[in-house]
Amino acid sequence: MAGKMKRHLLFWAFVGPLVFAFFVVVVMPFLWGIYYSFTEWNGIVRSQVEWVGLRNYIDLFDDEQFIYSFWFTARFAVVSVILINGIGFALALMVTQPLRSSNALRTVFFMPNLIGGLILGFVWQFIFIQVFAALAEFLHLEFLNGWLSTPETGFWGLVILMTWQMAGYTMVIYIAALQSIPGELLEAAEIDGSTLWSKTRHIIIPLVAPAFTINMFLMLSNAFKLYDQNLSLTNGGPFNSTQMLAMNIYNTAFQFDKMGYAQAKAVIFFMVVATVSIIQVRMNKRREVEY
Amino acid sequence: MNSKKSIALLVALIVMCIPALWAGGAQEAEEAGTDEKVKVDIFQFKVEFKDQFTELANEYMQENPNVDLSIKTVGGGDDYGAALRSRFASGEEPAIFNVGGPQDVADWLQFLAPLNELEVTEKAFDGVLGGVTMDGNVYGLPYNQEGYGLIYNKEMLSQAGIDPAGITSFAKLEGAVKKLDSMKDELGLEAVIAFPAKETWVTGLHLSNAVLSQEFDNVNEAFNADSVEYKYSRGFQKLVDLQNDYSVQPTLSLDYSQQVEQLFAGEKVALIQQGNWAYGSIAGVNSDLAGKIGFIPLSVEGGVGDSIPVGVPMYWGVNKQLEEDVVAEAKKFLNWMYTSETGKRYVLEEFKFIPAYEGYDVSKVSDPLARDILDFSARGKTLPWVFMGYPTGWGQNVLGIDIQKYVADKMSWEELIAHTTEEWESARQ
Repeated sequence: MAGKMKRHLLFWAFVGPLVFAFFVVVVMPFLWGIYYSFTEWNGIVRSQVEWVGLRNYIDLFDDEQFIYSFWFTARFAVVSVILINGIGFALALMVTQPLRSSNALRTVFFMPNLIGGLILGFVWQFIFIQVFAALAEFLHLEFLNGWLSTPETGFWGLVILMTWQMAGYTMVIYIAALQSIPGELLEAAEIDGSTLWSKTRHIIIPLVAPAFTINMFLMLSNAFKLYDQNLSLTNGGPFNSTQMLAMNIYNTAFQFDKMGYAQAKAVIFFMVVATVSIIQVRMNKRREVEY
Repeated sequence: MNSKKSIALLVALIVMCIPALWAGGAQEAEEAGTDEKVKVDIFQFKVEFKDQFTELANEYMQENPNVDLSIKTVGGGDDYGAALRSRFASGEEPAIFNVGGPQDVADWLQFLAPLNELEVTEKAFDGVLGGVTMDGNVYGLPYNQEGYGLIYNKEMLSQAGIDPAGITSFAKLEGAVKKLDSMKDELGLEAVIAFPAKETWVTGLHLSNAVLSQEFDNVNEAFNADSVEYKYSRGFQKLVDLQNDYSVQPTLSLDYSQQVEQLFAGEKVALIQQGNWAYGSIAGVNSDLAGKIGFIPLSVEGGVGDSIPVGVPMYWGVNKQLEEDVVAEAKKFLNWMYTSETGKRYVLEEFKFIPAYEGYDVSKVSDPLARDILDFSARGKTLPWVFMGYPTGWGQNVLGIDIQKYVADKMSWEELIAHTTEEWESARQ
């Protein structure tokens, strides 16, 4: 009995502080947020918080910019998740080959991830606007002109920026997964005469599937929640055509001072991100194999 | 055994850390409690004069040892509003903070102390308090005055044989721009104008203000208007077209620093729509040029063509919900800043403000853009700033965005007028 008590005590001594912190900084604000989504409030303490019921949620469906931002973000998420994981995986395959420069390459590929998102955005803004324009003049390539001044180049600018930043990050996770593949499996396949492609297709990919799950989850939720790169690269421009969901919510709250309405958007946003992430993890999990 | 020991050690460590954290917080509170000075927290938005303002505060504290001023600065228009809200929500309410106009006054009214009885309030120029007066109470004190128009490069205009003083109507402005355009190669210009359509405050607030200030007499009229008429819709369109057509392209990704520092200070364009705040940036890049610039009006076809908009960018407010002595000291400091000799010297010579109050020797103002503004003011050739009376977010996020769409040919001018009018009306319902 005493031993059990002690174990309980120990359990709560370790978990308690964390549960407390989680409750205070995550659960409570979350519940408060849901409450505010049914109100109209300008964000100033002690000013009137007016209960409006479901009106904020109803208004959402008429909000063209919100719906546009929604689809823009979804489009961005799909394209960037595919590109980041594709390139990250390819890089991981490359640097796990017995190359002399593989350690240096790993460092180089990972480095963009060490730069903060805001700074990255400003750096790439300079590249897209100034460097591209200079290249366009030098090489006479018309398509390098006017980047970030049209919705299409804004979209691809964001995709390029994020791929450049995150591919190295996913690469690290893929490297870990690749290195945990038992050598005998690959050797056996080689003895059976499998080519590089069939080895990759039938042994490596199924065995690194858990890494795909985690990477796709990270990149998907990251793409949906993206704010700082969006802010510094395009700030939603031109004409809000590259305004992603997080920015739409922030602007609703702090530029239009509609806290309740923004909160309703945030609740919908949460539900969508959670649903998409759960579906994605479930689907990926099914592909994982045990050995 | 060993692992158990280390667990025990860890628990002991955590248990020891918790009171240490607690104590850290408590200590701070205690210190403040024993302090006999009156602590006045200032939360303000103007980043560029932070150092000089801190110096002034230090001088004040030497003269008044019973007061402890502490200054926090958060810059930029939108960010300040968000930061101020969270500051109040955190319980650390500042004693002095900034309000921008009638909407802010209405929002923060429960916190704002009336400032009518102060000497400085009586010294404020006619008209500068309109945006912060409600039911006869004055709730804000102007920082300073600022003005904007088309900043021009004096040497280039004289080379092209254009007399800037003669530009008093849209037709003359258009003529001057066309003349400059025909001489681009001789003047070494990339284009005549740099039009930063990316910066929605330049288009949606300032440019629109040049037009709408002829429709609304003052900021309160705009604030109380249920709709916007666009009396000079055509003139507005022409002003946008003129700037966009003769600008360095693409305008949709052109920002403030490109416009001011790279293109204008680099003498690649002859005209930019900006205000006297740009002087520092221009002087920082090209000090030769900085002495040879001035303002020409943003002329509106069919409307006023010879005046520039001059207004107050931000006001000081005093938080009346704090202790009485804090409120009193906060008012005293603001009054001192704009009426004492030391304060006046700082305002004019260190802050390089264009004062919004009487009793200043403005001949000491040295920068050419500020001088031009004083000159326009002295001749009575000014228009008010009414954009702080637009519905919240409307100027930048509705009109500014629609101007971007118009410039990109995604929206016609008629659609822009219809859509922005509708948004104004729905915000005012």
